[in-house]
Amino acid sequence: MMEKKHKKSQHSLVREIKDNLRASPDLGIKRCMQCGLCTSNCPAARHSDYDPREMVKKVLDNNLEVLDNPDIWNCFYCYTCASNCPVNNSPSLINQILREKILNTGGNVSRVAEFIEFGYNYVEKGVGTIPSTFFQDLVDDFGEDYPKLKHDLPDIRRKLGLKEYNLKGEAAAEVKNILKASGFTQRLEKLKKIA
Amino acid sequence: MKNIPHENILLFKSCLVNVEYPGVESSTRYLFDHLGVEYQVHPDQSCCTGLGYYYDLFDQYSTLALAARNFYLARESEHTNITTLCATCYAILKKSLHLLNSNEKARSKVNEILEEAGLSHMKYEANMLSSEENIFHIVEVLYSKREQISQKIKKDFSKIKVASHHACHYCKIYPEQSITSSRNPMLLDELADCCGVKVVDWYDFKKATCGAGFSQRFANRDLSLSATRDKLYALEGKADVLLHMCPNCQMQFDRYQPVLEKELGRKIGLIHLNIAQLAALAMGADPYEVVGIQTHTIPVEDLIDKIKDIE
Ligand code: SF4
Ligand code: SF4
Repeated sequence: MMEKKHKKSQHSLVREIKDNLRASPDLGIKRCMQCGLCTSNCPAARHSDYDPREMVKKVLDNNLEVLDNPDIWNCFYCYTCASNCPVNNSPSLINQILREKILNTGGNVSRVAEFIEFGYNYVEKGVGTIPSTFFQDLVDDFGEDYPKLKHDLPDIRRKLGLKEYNLKGEAAAEVKNILKASGFTQRLEKLKKIA
Repeated sequence: MKNIPHENILLFKSCLVNVEYPGVESSTRYLFDHLGVEYQVHPDQSCCTGLGYYYDLFDQYSTLALAARNFYLARESEHTNITTLCATCYAILKKSLHLLNSNEKARSKVNEILEEAGLSHMKYEANMLSSEENIFHIVEVLYSKREQISQKIKKDFSKIKVASHHACHYCKIYPEQSITSSRNPMLLDELADCCGVKVVDWYDFKKATCGAGFSQRFANRDLSLSATRDKLYALEGKADVLLHMCPNCQMQFDRYQPVLEKELGRKIGLIHLNIAQLAALAMGADPYEVVGIQTHTIPVEDLIDKIKDIE
């Protein structure tokens, strides 16, 4: 599933994770005592081979195989692990950073490919949307009422006294310019190309 | 308990409330109007990026820079008590303020981004807002008004059994800042109690995730539904309504319940409502013009038929 093998780097994974903006400076990764409380409450561990305690152990051992383990892509980002960890570690955050690292080096891009449209939509309208790539899957599960709801939505919102939510004009331009300056638009193009 | 504001509230729009359960926003407005909470909705506010962030698509800097813009809108309109309808917006905004205040490098990079985008006037200086004192969830505002709510109840819900689903991103990301415990969440239960319902205070899997898992719902449907199934099966026969405080959870349960019922071969029969929708109904709001039950997959009509006016 991974498209690229990861070279050994002289920086440790722990260091890289602690330096990542997503991780708070007091992330207790080094304090992990392998108690397994995270795993015992983890929905992904309950229903798949993923094991957050083991994932943290590999990171602590600087074992780069962790990046090639497809199971890390099963994490729900629910933070149940973090809320139960006695030493303020967060397997959830570590997982986010590992996945980011994999994607940034061109690995497993197919996993996010179908979500790229979310990014383009946001760039144009400043709102989150359900990517249309999945709309048919949702209709298959939710039935024909679902497309009907989408069709009727503007009327329903009017009836509820709610206004337009897509950004337009200057506000939309501001969001677009921010995402260009932050490198997000470029990131989308890059992901799209690899995918 | 922390100080909960009742004025200068920026009611922060949520992408999934917008398109899936708009009745959550209109119910909240109805409640705020009836409880004397002063708020505004800003037409230029962009989404928090949370779904994209957890699809592994948005990077931290892009999320931060967009948050800084929204914080500017809040300051400029003097509505700096940002109050979210969604648990993910809540935690994303808390994290953004925390980073902008405590990480100088992140702050200057965000300000450079804003400058490059021609938005120098939106630059953020440390401690303009506070993660602890400027970001709230609507449930907190309602909780602080619970006595007033209980005095305004017009419908008799005393025969309705209600269980609660406390959104993970409210309870588990900043547990020290939430006004309920992540190990024994009771916020929705206590609020429901004020509306005169019968509360099911504990059930197996009460603390478990809804299963949406952001990308999992789409990329890993069976895994996602396994987690949803845990909770719904645990509630079978125990409650009439499951209460929510996050549109993503509400969508997962309300839209996928029929899929799981089909697989199970019988009805689980739960109705899914946001706490604001339940409180609005109990205070006599119109189901279609305020509460927006017409966008639900599991029909709410059965419940409406059962609740009568309090004599
Ligand atoms: S709960 Fe915390 S300390 Fe225990 S194994 Fe998991 S990460 Fe390590
Ligand atoms: S965030 Fe991931 S690792 Fe943590 S409990 Fe949830 S699924 Fe498991």
